[in-house]
Amino acid sequence: MMEKNVANTKRDGLLHPSIDKVVVIEGTHAASHAVKLARVQVIAAYPITPQTSVVEKLSEIVSDGDLDAKFIKVESEHSAMACCIGSSISGARAFTATSSQGLALMHELLHWAAGSRLPIVMVNVNRAMAPPWSIYVDHNDSLSQRDTGWLQFYAESNQEVTDTVLQAYKIAETVSLPVMINLDAFVLSHTSEPVALPKQEIVDEFLPARKASFKIDTSDPKAFGALIGPEAYMEMRYKLYRAMEDARSVIREVDRDFAEKFGRSYGGLVEEYMTEDAETVLITSATAVSTARIAVDELRSMGFPVGLMKLRVFRPFPVDEVRELAKHVRKIGVMDRNVSFGATGIIYQETKAVLYNAADRPSVFGFIAGLGGRDITPETIKEIFSYLMNHDEPESESVWVSLKTSDADQGARPFPETGAGIRRSEGVK
Amino acid sequence: MTKYKFTTVEEMPPLAFSLESTREIPTGSWRHVRPVYRDKNSPCHVTCPAGEKIPDYFELVRQKKYKEAWYKILEDNPLPGVTGRVCYHPCEGQCNRAGYDGAVAIHNIERFVADKNFKNRKLPAAVEARKSEKVAVIGSGPAGLSCAYQLSRLGYRSVIYEADHEPGGMLRYGIPDYRLPKKILDKEIKDIEALGVEIMVDSKIGDNVAWSELERYDAVFVAVGATHSRKIGAPGEDLKGVYTGIDFLKELSTGNVPKVGRQVLVLGGGNTAIDAARSALRLGKRVTVLYRRTRVEMPAVPEEIEEAEKEGVHFEFLVTPVKISGSKGKASEIELMKMQLGEPDESGRRRPVPVIGSNFSMRADTIISAIGEEPDLSFLPYSFLRKGIRLFVDDEHTTGVPGIFAGGDAATNPNGTVVNAIRAGKEAAISIHEFLGWRSRSNGVSHDAVKPEEVNTFYFPHEGRVEVPRITVQKSKTTFSEVNKTLTEEQALTEAERCFTCGTCLHCDVCMTFCPDVAISKDESGEYTIDYEHCKGCGICVNECPRGAMELVPEGAREAVEEVEHI
Ligand SMILES: Cc1cc2nc3c(=O)[nH]c(=O)nc-3n(C[C@H](O)[C@H](O)[C@H](O)COP(=O)(O)OP(=O)(O)OC[C@H]3O[C@@H](n4cnc5c(N)ncnc54)[C@H](O)[C@@H]3O)c2cc1C
Ligand code: SF4
Ligand code: SF4
Ligand code: SF4
Repeated sequence: MMEKNVANTKRDGLLHPSIDKVVVIEGTHAASHAVKLARVQVIAAYPITPQTSVVEKLSEIVSDGDLDAKFIKVESEHSAMACCIGSSISGARAFTATSSQGLALMHELLHWAAGSRLPIVMVNVNRAMAPPWSIYVDHNDSLSQRDTGWLQFYAESNQEVTDTVLQAYKIAETVSLPVMINLDAFVLSHTSEPVALPKQEIVDEFLPARKASFKIDTSDPKAFGALIGPEAYMEMRYKLYRAMEDARSVIREVDRDFAEKFGRSYGGLVEEYMTEDAETVLITSATAVSTARIAVDELRSMGFPVGLMKLRVFRPFPVDEVRELAKHVRKIGVMDRNVSFGATGIIYQETKAVLYNAADRPSVFGFIAGLGGRDITPETIKEIFSYLMNHDEPESESVWVSLKTSDADQGARPFPETGAGIRRSEGVK
Repeated sequence: MTKYKFTTVEEMPPLAFSLESTREIPTGSWRHVRPVYRDKNSPCHVTCPAGEKIPDYFELVRQKKYKEAWYKILEDNPLPGVTGRVCYHPCEGQCNRAGYDGAVAIHNIERFVADKNFKNRKLPAAVEARKSEKVAVIGSGPAGLSCAYQLSRLGYRSVIYEADHEPGGMLRYGIPDYRLPKKILDKEIKDIEALGVEIMVDSKIGDNVAWSELERYDAVFVAVGATHSRKIGAPGEDLKGVYTGIDFLKELSTGNVPKVGRQVLVLGGGNTAIDAARSALRLGKRVTVLYRRTRVEMPAVPEEIEEAEKEGVHFEFLVTPVKISGSKGKASEIELMKMQLGEPDESGRRRPVPVIGSNFSMRADTIISAIGEEPDLSFLPYSFLRKGIRLFVDDEHTTGVPGIFAGGDAATNPNGTVVNAIRAGKEAAISIHEFLGWRSRSNGVSHDAVKPEEVNTFYFPHEGRVEVPRITVQKSKTTFSEVNKTLTEEQALTEAERCFTCGTCLHCDVCMTFCPDVAISKDESGEYTIDYEHCKGCGICVNECPRGAMELVPEGAREAVEEVEHI
């Protein structure tokens, strides 16, 4: 794919001085370029749609000599992660990318990477799990890896992909935990957008070479990941738990640091949009956030006090941010692009869970939408808001949005054009 | 050892790792198969009839120890300059690299090593103490030369009786200059003489030297080759203008230019036919080879057939001569009959059968018949067993008459090639040595050759086979100077580098590096030791070894026990 330089820092005085060039690239390449800028030393990956172009581009970059890295072709995702673990434990900066079933195949080693406290960064292109086969977006693949000890980011734009990869290495190497960056299949992975690529020198300042606090040393042989008895296992788990807890402040700090150097910020773990005076707020993640911004703008122009919280980081869960939001809103809707069978949408569960012990507990509604690549449009979001505003309490634990069903009770209704029949306001808390 | 005790989370490392090495855990008890170091034969070595230790001398080439490399070849073959040029190199056919990206150009490296030592050379001295026994060798072709040479390495004096005026057999009088320049042959024969081998030329047994003269020797090796052209058996074969291939080539190699007309027809499909055809072409003639089967059945070295085609020799297949006719005693026309292929014969090739009524004629000024050679054994007493036209010998090259051995093209199972003659000479020398009451040193235990799948090609990046330098076809078809050139040093090194060194440990440390139990160590002399207290028999070393120089044997097997005693 042609990368067109659409802006020129010299001509356009508005551009931030950290920018080397602005190129129009797809989401997967936004990741590849960031990997190059991060001076990753080992790349091991196995191809799977729609991740392939991430590593395809990297293979070109490495073979052109633009990145001094070992590019390892492997026979499975399991091996890809094994290579990352091996190289990371020897002190190298490692990267891999996968998607869906590939991520599932890595599962065992995801535990291994986190348990070994290795700062590996992985891009996962969110793709629905099979069967039925699908190559389109939803988040069940990454959310199934919730408890492996990996940090999880969800990107809204190609620029955010690039920036998050750079942030991710810094965060990972600070807390000694691996980071997974998720981007929506096709909607982001294969859509071209302008991306500002920063200057290498500034990236190098922001992200210096990795200094591993422990690594394999052949002159001092040791066994890594050794067997541990019940007298110490729990403590090791606690260390990992703490590291994840500590990651929250590190993520915020790194984002601030990033903003200072590069002029862009993503708010740390969440980003809020028009929430200050909002009564009803929707929490969602990834590309649906962009769509939701449009819906919120529309409803605002009609006078509805609605807002939006973008969940950028799912692990560690933004407990403080959600609780803070709960203090001043009446209703929270959570739109999940996933489902936990036998329960509800996963983010919905987690949102409710963090609020249960909080002093302020608005009503929390769960919506499931956009599975297997079903489009989430501004209309979808508005449907959700119509439901939210016309209900005091949720009628069921999860509302499946735009479900093709003859059951009239199931699902939300389209938002009326003029807003007629929708409850206007119950007053700010 | 110190026991570490952590009481709080804060004291613990971020990851569970041992604070000491894991040597205290004797994982050797888990093992049920045992890795052992065991050099194996390479398929090229096993296939080379002369038994050249190819991977060994290639390693010396890589170290640029060209003299040592030459010495290594000379252990098995005194004529590497010759075989490096004209051997049909079966070794390459079995090369493990063949299926990967092309066989190693073994015989080109062999030639490079020989040529690199062309000047200032001195052969290594005999390996065994001088003996009092003397051996006579009849014939100075490759079989005779190889036998006399190996005998002198074993400490014997030998005398070669040669009927011709100069030594070398078919190497001199058969194979033309453009494939094997005489100075190469002369040099290698001189070397053999320098070891004390006496060559008596113009001494034909059964003619000017009586068979009984050989009685004073302790053993005799008969290597008289197959020097007589087979008759076509068609009327007119004695007309002027009809040559045998052997006579024609011999004329040329003694510096004379035989009289040939413009239109030359060559009968036959072997090396002699092709060499005669390419030689006639070099005399500026139009040449057609007539062969009774098809191209695939031609016994000549395939590369030579290709060369002949490139140079412009014409081929007519599935034809056989019926009659040669002419006027004033001179041949001018040949009558031919068409053939077709029938059932396979004992050689496995499909037998040509005549197509009745398909006769036709071709104009010809010169006809060269090269349909095969046979030995002249008329000098031998009747008591010798024969098989067909050849002298019968067993695998030890004995003839059945005590003390008389035979080999090469004159004897049974000759395969009719230079390198097989060299093998026969070498093996006969060993048999003679044993006949004279000595025990020969065995080459040690011989294991199977390394199979392609035992080579770990991961360690060998793809690199195509070398392009052999040569003079252009335009030039080659007009001159008797050598067609193929010697590899440059750079080419030879690159090519030697391509060799996997199947089955011979190169001390690359791969096994040691990969052992997950750090159970392999290397001493100052560079030898590896496996610590079986810790080796848990995972086999990774064996799997990783680039060249199959290790083996996994069942625990408790006899080999395993022996191996341990060895170590
Ligand atoms: C034209 C031609 C091309 C060939 N090309 C190739 C090739 O490219 N590659 C290959 O591998 N092989 C080739 N060959 C075959 C190869 O040359 C022979 O197989 C090989 O030379 C046989 O060796 P030898 O020692 O058994 O016999 P020879 O080389 O035939 O030597 C026998 C010697 O014994 C002598 N002799 C015979 N009778 C007596 C006697 N009574 N007393 C004393 N001396 C005697 C002869 O004069 C002769 O010198 C070719 C053969 C010919 C004819
Ligand atoms: S003598 Fe022939 S078979 Fe032996 S190594 Fe040389 S080319 Fe190969
Ligand atoms: S790779 Fe080398 S050792 Fe192996 S068969 Fe070929 S020439 Fe012989
Ligand atoms: S891996 Fe290398 S050192 Fe080990 S046996 Fe094979 S060739 Fe020898």
